[in-house]
Amino acid sequence: MTQHQAAGAFPAQSLPDFEAMSDEDFRQTVRRFVEAKYPDIPRFSQHRLRWDEVKPWYGVLSAEGWICPTWPRAFGGMGLGPGKHLILIEEFERFGCARVHDIGPVMLGPLLMKFGTQAQKDFYLPRILSGEDIWAQGYSEPDAGSDLASLRTRAVRDGDAWVIDGQKTWTTLGMDANRIFILARTDPSVKKQAGISFLLVPMDAPGVTVRPIRNLEGHAEFCEVFFDAVRVPLDSLVGGENEGWAIAKALLGHERVFIGAPRLSGNALARLRYLAEARDVFDDPALQDRYTRLKLDVEDLSDLFEAYVDKLRGGETIGPDVAILKIFQSELYQRISDEMMELAGATAGMREPEDGDPRKHAAGTWLAARPTTIFGGSTEVMRNMMARYVLDLPTR
Amino acid sequence: MDGWIENARMIVESAAAIVPEDGGLDRVRALRFASPGYSPEVFAEIGTMGWLQLAVPERDGGAGLGMRECASLLVALGRGLLPEPVVSALLAQRLTAGRADTDILDGRTVMVAAWQDRTDSLDFAGPAGGDILKLHVDGAAGAGAFAVLAEQGVAIVRAGEPGVRVETAALQDGTFEGTLTLSAGNPEWLPVADADLALDEAILSHSAYLLGLSERGIEITLDYLRVRKQFDQPIGSFQALQHRASELKIQLELCRAAIFRTAARLDAGLSADRRAAAVSRVKTRAAGLAMLMAREAVQMHGAIGTTEEADIGLVVAKAISQANRYGSARLHRNRHFDASERSAA
Ligand SMILES: Cc1cc2nc3c(=O)[nH]c(=O)nc-3n(C[C@H](O)[C@H](O)[C@H](O)COP(=O)(O)OP(=O)(O)OC[C@H]3O[C@@H](n4cnc5c(N)ncnc54)[C@H](O)[C@@H]3O)c2cc1C
Repeated sequence: MTQHQAAGAFPAQSLPDFEAMSDEDFRQTVRRFVEAKYPDIPRFSQHRLRWDEVKPWYGVLSAEGWICPTWPRAFGGMGLGPGKHLILIEEFERFGCARVHDIGPVMLGPLLMKFGTQAQKDFYLPRILSGEDIWAQGYSEPDAGSDLASLRTRAVRDGDAWVIDGQKTWTTLGMDANRIFILARTDPSVKKQAGISFLLVPMDAPGVTVRPIRNLEGHAEFCEVFFDAVRVPLDSLVGGENEGWAIAKALLGHERVFIGAPRLSGNALARLRYLAEARDVFDDPALQDRYTRLKLDVEDLSDLFEAYVDKLRGGETIGPDVAILKIFQSELYQRISDEMMELAGATAGMREPEDGDPRKHAAGTWLAARPTTIFGGSTEVMRNMMARYVLDLPTR
Repeated sequence: MDGWIENARMIVESAAAIVPEDGGLDRVRALRFASPGYSPEVFAEIGTMGWLQLAVPERDGGAGLGMRECASLLVALGRGLLPEPVVSALLAQRLTAGRADTDILDGRTVMVAAWQDRTDSLDFAGPAGGDILKLHVDGAAGAGAFAVLAEQGVAIVRAGEPGVRVETAALQDGTFEGTLTLSAGNPEWLPVADADLALDEAILSHSAYLLGLSERGIEITLDYLRVRKQFDQPIGSFQALQHRASELKIQLELCRAAIFRTAARLDAGLSADRRAAAVSRVKTRAAGLAMLMAREAVQMHGAIGTTEEADIGLVVAKAISQANRYGSARLHRNRHFDASERSAA
């Protein structure tokens, strides 16, 4: 069913204390690391690489102990705080490192550390570190998108097993994963948020089938996952029965702030300029005016982002106003991509990058920018949440 | 002469044979990314219906119909996401005005126009000497002939002839455009009386195609707003989406009015500068509408709007592939400014 092959155990090295380094030293360390270790796989890809392509990089990160930057060192992570983690992300981005299959390191690991049993931690965390387990996130369903709590996939206790029936969709890289965590309804009789549980499911369990879905660029980056009387042991439950909603909602640390990082917009702005120069029109005052508006937006976003990172560094909890970052960054990214499309002229619609140069690929940028206002809370839903929880406006 | 409405009605009705009103998009879907990206048989059928000679003057053996009829047809074809390169074929026929062989005149052989010298430019004069290079040739993969437009006039060259080289590349909508190089000898150049007018007509026709495409995309999106439920309500009941759906309709009607009023003015006859200003205004609006529609269609559909599986994905891919052809909004804003300043002077 799944094309995933375990990457094998990558024994972790003993790592220096990164948090003790100065920011500049750490930045240089990361820079040297990627320059020395990045394998011969694509850089600056605008679409997600599949497991077969990205596996060598996961292997390197795993072997070097760099695959889980934010995990505590005791769990096999790098033990980075938000400031250092940001530097790591920036340097990876600067080099154009491919994004690995990071649902395990980013989402499930921290969640298990907080809510998992000792046995779950002992079993699953090392397998994420080694690349033996690649996880997918199974929340959304065909009829449960923005209204996730209305999900209908059911799990029923039957002897020594949970029996799961239903369907998940838009599962990013689910075809490459060997495990998926899902939200399933375990009590249909109560208020919808109250009857949901969090379960861990192997993708090769009998009754699990996967159908890839092609996105607008023709890449299968996500899939549907069907569950037909799938049996998983009772200890596949994370947290208490019917506590899944709270677990899923529990904030995944500073990741929420990082969604608002200005790098996507900044990279797109650099491509806009590159394209304008390649077209020999960067001296057009009208274009300069529009370019500058976008540039000012990127720079102001950077300041706002840094203000949030400072809050994180100071140990402050981040409230619902973090939506400000996500909304502004994702819409700015899209506005820049719109400008690229107009500038590209008839080549805007090319399927492959003009002259094989991804930096000129307006359509690639435009298409890559679309999902950012849809996933992780759509822009519309985020604005609704702001009105309610940040602005304290009356509800209907 | 208000016979145009009746003519247009008949043409649009006959268009239903090729693009059934609100019919499925299975044919369009199946043709994508397999060269030539459209059906030569359907193109021949289009020829049989007489559409290829629609804009060719009667004195040259054409139907001599006006731009309003032409725009009406192209709106209908845009609604059906027609992959056959009709705008380019109309331009090619218009430029060669009845002088091509019968297999080309009747559409058995596809002839498209090869006119564009540079990306995002309307220049077609070509180089003073040496090879002639033409970019962004619509439907190049399946074309058996090209109407090559240059300073010298128009030349009808056949694909596969010595000295004619065509390289094709896929667009996001699954059609293929081509780069044509003409190197051997000296083709027979036929005089063209009104190349600029013909090009303006093509820009207007393509704008009408974009209008039809956008109208279809908006309809599909409105239907989705009616049926998709989240939080126990149709998402179309949320004001955040209602306001933006209204904006789509506002832009749609602005575009429609601009196209048909401009078409009428062209039919009545305009100076070259006034015509350029008007046509560029139309193309600016049409490209803007198509891109707005594409953005909103994806966003309002949510994740399914980012896939090629839903029909809306075909509409979005078509919009981003076609919005800038015959000049981007940026180009046409500049051209409008220059032309309207000149005509005011
Ligand atoms: C590229 C991509 C990858 C994804 N990966 C995963 C994954 O790995 N795992 C997973 O579980 N999910 C994943 N998702 C799904 C994602 O979480 C959903 O797309 C998201 O929750 C929105 O749901 P929906 O797509 O069903 O849109 P809908 O909820 O149907 O929304 C449709 C439109 O209605 C609007 N809308 C909805 N409610 C309101 C309201 N109350 N007021 C105003 N407007 C409203 C939305 O903003 C949107 O514009 C992914 C999505 C994408 C695009």
